[in-house]
Parts: sequence; structure tokens; C-alpha cells
Amino acid sequence: MATAEWSVKLQARSGSRVKDFLNANLINILAAFLFLLLAFFLLYPILAVLLKSVRDPSGFTLNYYRVFFKADYYYQSLYNTLLLGAINTVVCVVIGFCMAYMTTRGPWLLRKPLKIISLIPLIAPPYLFALSLIIMFGRNGLVTRALDLPWQLYGFTGVVISQSLAFIPLAYMMIEGTLMSLNPNLEESAYDMGATEATILRTITIPLLAPGLLKAALLIFVMTIAEFGNAAILGGRTPFLAPDTYTVITGESDFNMGSVLSVVLIAPCIIIFVVHNYLLEGKKFTTIGGKPVASEPRKITPLVLVPFVIITTVAAGAILACFGVVFAASFYKILGVTKDLVWSNYLDFTSNQAIYNSIRVSFVAAAIGAILGVLIAYVIVRGKFFGRAVIEIISLSGFALPGTVLGIGYLLAFSTPPLKLTGGIMILALNCVFRFIAVGVEAGISKLHQIHIEIEEASADLGASFLTTFYKIVLPIMFPAFIAGFLYTFMTAIVSLSAVVFLVSPGFDLAAVKIFDAAVYGEIGIASATTMKLVLIVMLCMLVLDFITKKTRLGSSMKKSAAV
Amino acid sequence: MTTKEIAGYMRMEENERPMLILKDIHKFYGKNEVIKGVSLEVRKGELVTFVGPSGCGKTTLLRLIGGFTDVSSGDIILDGQRINDLPPNLRDTRICFQNYALFPHMTVAENIGYGLKINKWPRDRIEARVRDLLKMVELDAFGDRMIDKLSGGQQQRVAFARALSLEPKVLLLDEPLSNLDANLRLVMREEIRNLQAKLQITTVFVTHDQFEAMAISDRLVVMRDGLIEQVGSPIEIYERPANEFIAGFVGYVNFMEGRVASIGEKTREAVIDTEYGQIEIALEQDDIVHGDEVLLVIRPESVNISLDRCGKGQNVLSGALKSYMYAGSLAKCTVKIGDRTMIIDQYNPRDAQQFKHAEKVEVEIPRSVHLLKKKR
Repeated sequence: MATAEWSVKLQARSGSRVKDFLNANLINILAAFLFLLLAFFLLYPILAVLLKSVRDPSGFTLNYYRVFFKADYYYQSLYNTLLLGAINTVVCVVIGFCMAYMTTRGPWLLRKPLKIISLIPLIAPPYLFALSLIIMFGRNGLVTRALDLPWQLYGFTGVVISQSLAFIPLAYMMIEGTLMSLNPNLEESAYDMGATEATILRTITIPLLAPGLLKAALLIFVMTIAEFGNAAILGGRTPFLAPDTYTVITGESDFNMGSVLSVVLIAPCIIIFVVHNYLLEGKKFTTIGGKPVASEPRKITPLVLVPFVIITTVAAGAILACFGVVFAASFYKILGVTKDLVWSNYLDFTSNQAIYNSIRVSFVAAAIGAILGVLIAYVIVRGKFFGRAVIEIISLSGFALPGTVLGIGYLLAFSTPPLKLTGGIMILALNCVFRFIAVGVEAGISKLHQIHIEIEEASADLGASFLTTFYKIVLPIMFPAFIAGFLYTFMTAIVSLSAVVFLVSPGFDLAAVKIFDAAVYGEIGIASATTMKLVLIVMLCMLVLDFITKKTRLGSSMKKSAAV
Repeated sequence: MTTKEIAGYMRMEENERPMLILKDIHKFYGKNEVIKGVSLEVRKGELVTFVGPSGCGKTTLLRLIGGFTDVSSGDIILDGQRINDLPPNLRDTRICFQNYALFPHMTVAENIGYGLKINKWPRDRIEARVRDLLKMVELDAFGDRMIDKLSGGQQQRVAFARALSLEPKVLLLDEPLSNLDANLRLVMREEIRNLQAKLQITTVFVTHDQFEAMAISDRLVVMRDGLIEQVGSPIEIYERPANEFIAGFVGYVNFMEGRVASIGEKTREAVIDTEYGQIEIALEQDDIVHGDEVLLVIRPESVNISLDRCGKGQNVLSGALKSYMYAGSLAKCTVKIGDRTMIIDQYNPRDAQQFKHAEKVEVEIPRSVHLLKKKR
């Protein structure tokens, strides 16, 4: 509607036909351009993986799939991966729910500290937990030696624990969001009608939260089965799909088998994506909105309070312990083995070089990603052309795709001329850009939804061309979204491991890869110190982001009051 | 409050005995005192409205009665029982929230029957009770509907029926009409009032709309800043407001300063000296004495306005007509008297044509004007 009106107005105004056409269709041209970019850097690599899995030198074949489904090893790997996903999902959702319930309904005193602890893993690379478990329960682990334990944590249990700890904050954030948006009056009404805490949970809170819980569960399932680092570091002899892909590619250079493994890993993601988008659509409960009120703490019966407190404290304690252990380990050559406090881990040249490389790659990725994110968001929200939803789905899918898949995809797609990108910083940066493009797009979309189209229409009405409006009105308003997109992409890119591990070239190490290698080779001190450096960088980004969101929110509320 | 005091209350006659007593209620959020000592008695079957500007503490007070927040000090007595420490699920009060808080995953009937089910009523009794309640709020055919398939007014009725399902001793209504459009609001407030009167259910109503409050209540509790400013019937509040705030809160008011020049011993005829001359009034208050500095509370509709005939009658001031806004059933006149502006509502303005071009008018201050003692 809106763009159509513009075009009529603009056609009536300026003389040149070419100019008119450009003005009226700029958003469509932009959309086409962005679509091409997404197709080339996101769809094409995936396609390359799909093709590779069914092709051998003689042509089309399903042989590799036959091998996959016949071999006991791969069957075991698939089974382990799905079981890991299922267990992790349940654990994370349960713990996330308990934590979210306590921080939104529990006593004031508990809310803030619990919230901070549950969000700590957010600033940590997911493999921090694998690292800390090695330090505590590995072959030379602190606890292993102190208690002379006969078993080690390598294998399924270790992966489950480290993965669960790593994905608790995601579960917590999603569930907290849905709990916060649940009108507290609903639970109060049930309370008022005579229901006890447990009854309220059973009859009101959980049924109303079900769609949100399911959503969180699906996302966590997808992310767990695709997660590479923890399984690779702690898996030991237990096979999982994501690390297997890595071994097949780097160890055996078997791209066909690697592609098959990737496709098998994508399948559940696609199924879940479809379920999420089509089956859960409209499965949201709507109620008449009142003013949103923070829930006042209720007197929670011990029957509910005690188990909740136990679960949350254990989880929070474990998270804190893991962090503390890695922090401590960063000051010893090998914690528990060597006795001297040393700085050398922090001064290690290769580690610092890797950090520097990571910053460079992530910075480039963040800059490109934020710009593209804002543009794609604009096209999705304001564009009126056919296929808008397609662009949205493609750009949001990068995040849900297993990193290993995009890693192999980039290797396959961009390693031969004329598109030879491998071996440089660009392939790493572009990989991060398109894997995490959803982050910038989401930031842009949410900001754009806050801006009334009338502002742009007013600008057009006053005679501004599309470009002028975009430049003078849209961009300044979108600036916070750009910054948010930039920082988010930066933080995500700098800790990400699963895709770049395929793409780093010898002599150009990234921090995440360095940590992975160091952990695998038992250089615990260096792995820990590098992890702490990453944590510090991510923390700084978070602080800046927090500062900016607070500032811009203040700005928008000031605007609002001025308008009144 | 001691048990003895409570027992004292219980010896009163049934219809005299207060259903709900608030005794010196204080509420702190951290260091912030939001309720600063409120005492009130609500009789059985009475509809009392808490009214005041936003942030005055009226909703907090309602939540304190419902048990959703703990009082910091003071007592809440419900039907002779101190309920301070009882959680909401054990209090015999039911609340109806502003946003209705209907359970969106349940049907209308399930919503209304929720409390009955929780309280372990047998199924056939629940069904019968729900049917009765649906009939009462005229939603007989809607039992199986989901909540989001109802209009705002219908949702409001469901919420009302649900709150009444367990026959609470006190019904708490938190701005129940504010989500409805203007016409529906008038209809619903009449319905609520009629049902409340029919069922004789003690009700505490919270609103920020002073006109709604006056229309629906037996008594108004005007609150400001965590304190009760005045308690009284709508007529008392409107005609004899306790202070300037209340006078202005329940409607537009013109103030005029003056000093009591004389008061007739028997007749209670008072003469007030003002800048614009003497005003005679029939004094109804007995707290006003000779020499008091007072404010005359002059309501816009109480003043007679007429075209200037250059003759001075009793209580007649002349002024300049600054604007005359004709709006059919009434005309709003802005009259300048001395250096003060007075707003006057002229009802049934038949000679509007003449007023439109008039410059000078006479206004007659009624003898029934209420006086406010000026604080020194």
C-alpha cells in the first residue's frame, strides 16, 4: 500500500522516467540484490553439500547414504546425537523453567543474583564447560585425583553435562520471556479462586506456557545436536555426528561422507523448523491487555519452593564452579599438577595471535553483518513484493543450521576458482556473516516495528525521494539496531567454533580453534587463558550493548513524552 | 485491633455491622510509603468506590484487601475475622481484574467453574451453578465458547460471573470498565450496579473516573497520595467537598475568595465580603464563624447567567462575556469578573442568538454555595 502510494506521488512529480522507475522500485531492486547475496552465500553452500552427498566421480549415487545407514558406527553416532539432544532439551527446559519461575515469581531477594548467574554462560563460549569438566574430572582432573575416582567424564555423560550447562541460559531467556509476558493477574485470579501454588502451576501457568516451552525445547534440541565443541572435546570414543563430520573431513578428506553426515544433521533441523513455523503458528493465547505489571512475589508453598530452589541452586552452583575453575586454571600451567602461579598463559604468543585474528575476522563479519541485517530487515518489514517471507526464512535459517554444515558447504563452494576464497580472512568473515545474519535481521526487524510507517510516509509526502527518506529518516532511527546487530554478531562470531574449524588455514588460527586444539592436546593453562580473554571481550561488548540499549530506550521514552 | 474490639463490632445489628474494616493500614514498598494510614468501614451490601488520581494508592489498597500484597501495619477485618495473614486463596474475597484475567485456554463455562472445581464441588453442582451464573449475566448460549471469541463486554460479564461463583463476602472490582468503549461502559456499570444491589453483595470498586464513581456508588472514598481525603455519598462529595482538591476532582469548579462579614444567629443567613461585592448565602455548615477567610465553591451549572439589564439584584455580579460556546443542550460561557475568569454552564440555552453578540452579562451566585474554610 504505502510504497504504491509513494510511487504514484513520485511519478506525478519528477520528469525523467528512468528516475521515476528507480525511485519507485528501489526497495525491490535492493531486495533482489539482497536475495542474490543470501542465495549465493547461504543457499549455494548448502546446495553444494546436498549435491556432494549424492555424487561420486561417475555421477549420481546413493552409495554414501547406504554406507551411512549400514555402518554400526554411524548408527551409534546418530543414536547418541539424538539421545543427547533429547536429554539436553529436557534438562535445559526444566532447569530454565525453574530459574525463570524463581526470577519472575520468587522472592525479590533471589531474583537478581539468580538472573545474573543464569545469564553468565551467555558470555562464555559453549566449550568453556567442556574445558572446565576436563579440568575437574579429566584424566588429571582435580576431583579425579583428589578422590582417586576410577572413572572419567569423557564420553556421553560429560557431553550431556557440559552441553546442558551451556544451553541453560538460552532456555532460561526464552522461558523467562514467555513468563514475563504472561499476565500476572491470570495466576492471581486462580490464587484468588482458592488454588494453591501447585494447582496454579498445573492448571494455569504450564498450560499457558506450553507453546513457549515447546518453542524453547525445539530450538535447544536443534542447537544441541548441531553443537560441535563440547562433543569434540569431551566425546572421547563416543561418536556424535558433528565431531564425526570433522574427523571425516580433516582426517580422511572424505567430502562425500562428510556431506552425508551433514545432511543427516540438517534433516531434524528442517523438520523442527517446519513444525515451529507452521504447526505452532497461531498457537498463542491472547488476552485483553492491561498495563503490564511485574508479578509481586507470592508466598510460594515449600512443596513447590524447595524443589525449585534445589534445582536452581545446583545449576547455578555448577555454572559458577565451571567459571571459577577455568579462571583459576588460566593461572597455572596445568591446574592441580603444577604448583606455580604463572602469567605465561596470558602471554602465550600463539594464543594472542589467535585472539587478534579472531577480533579482525569478527569485526569484519560484524560490520558487514550489521549493514546487511538492517537492509534485509528493512526490505522484509517495509517491502511489499512477492517472496518477502522467503527472504525472511532464508536469512533466519542460517542460525538454525548446524555450523558444521556451513563449514563444509563453504569448503565445497568456495575452494575452486573462480570463487576461490579459502585460505584468507574473507571466507571466515563471510561464513560468520551469513551464519549469523539472523542476529542483525532480528535486531533490525524489532526496531523497525517500533517505527510507524507514517514517519516515512510523512517524509515522502514532503517530497523526499525514497533514497533521501531512507538516508535521512530510516538510517538514523535504525542506528541503535545497527549497533546492536554489530555487537551481537561480533560476540557470536568471536566464540563460534563449529564452522570456522573447517575453514582456518595453517598459520591463521582463530581463538576458538586455538582453545579447541589446546584442550584436546592437554594445554589446559593456555586453553583456559584464551577462554578468559574471550569472556572478557564478550563481556565488554555486553556492557556497551547494555549501555546503548538503556540510552536509546531513554531516548524513545523522551520522544514519547514530548509527543504527549 | 484486639479480639475484644472485633467482638464489639460483632455485637452490632446485622445491617449495621461492617463487613469489611480497614484499621490504620500502612504499606511500604522499600522506603516508599504508598498507603499512609487508611481506616475505613464498609457495611454489608454496600458498594464503596475508591477514587483518585493515578498513583493515589487505590489499586494497592484493593490488592491489600485481596491478599496479593501484605500490609506493612494495620488490620484488615473481614466479617469479624482478622485476615491480614491469610493468602488470597483462603480469603473470602474475590477480585475482578481490569484486564479480566480470564483463562484463555478454557471455555467460558470452565472459567466460571474454575473456583468451584478448585474447591472440590461435585460435578453436577458445578454444572448447575455455572448454568445459573451464565443465565444471570445473560450468556446462556456462550458456555462452550473460548474466551477470545467473546466481545469485551461479554468477557467482562464472564469475569464478573467467575468472581461471584463462590459467593464471596466482599467483591473487589479493579477498574472493571476501563477496557470498554464509552457506550458499553454506561450499560455495564448499570448492569453491575443492578446485580450488586439485587445480590446485596458487599463491593469495593476502584476507578479513576470520578463520574463513574459518583454514578455507581453508595459511598465514595476519595484518595490522594496514599491517604483518604474524604468519605461520603456522591451528593455529599459533590456538593460539600472537604477541600479544594476534592471540589476540583469531582467536577469543574470556580473558586471565589471572601471573608464572612456576618452570620444570622437563627436564620444562618451569612454575608460574605468579596472583591466584587457582598454575597448572601444560606449557610448549612456549622464550622464557619464570623470573620473566617473562605473560598466559595461555585459549580458552573449552579450559576444563573443573564443579559446585562444594568439593574443590581441580590448576589448579582456583572462581567464581560469572553466566549460563548453553544453546544445544543448547553452553552459554555467564559465570563470575566474583575480580573477573574468564571466558567458557567448555561443549560437549555434558548436565547443563544442574543448571547452570541452580548458583551456584558450578569451572573447570579446561588444562595446554596458551599464554603471552604481557608487554611492559615
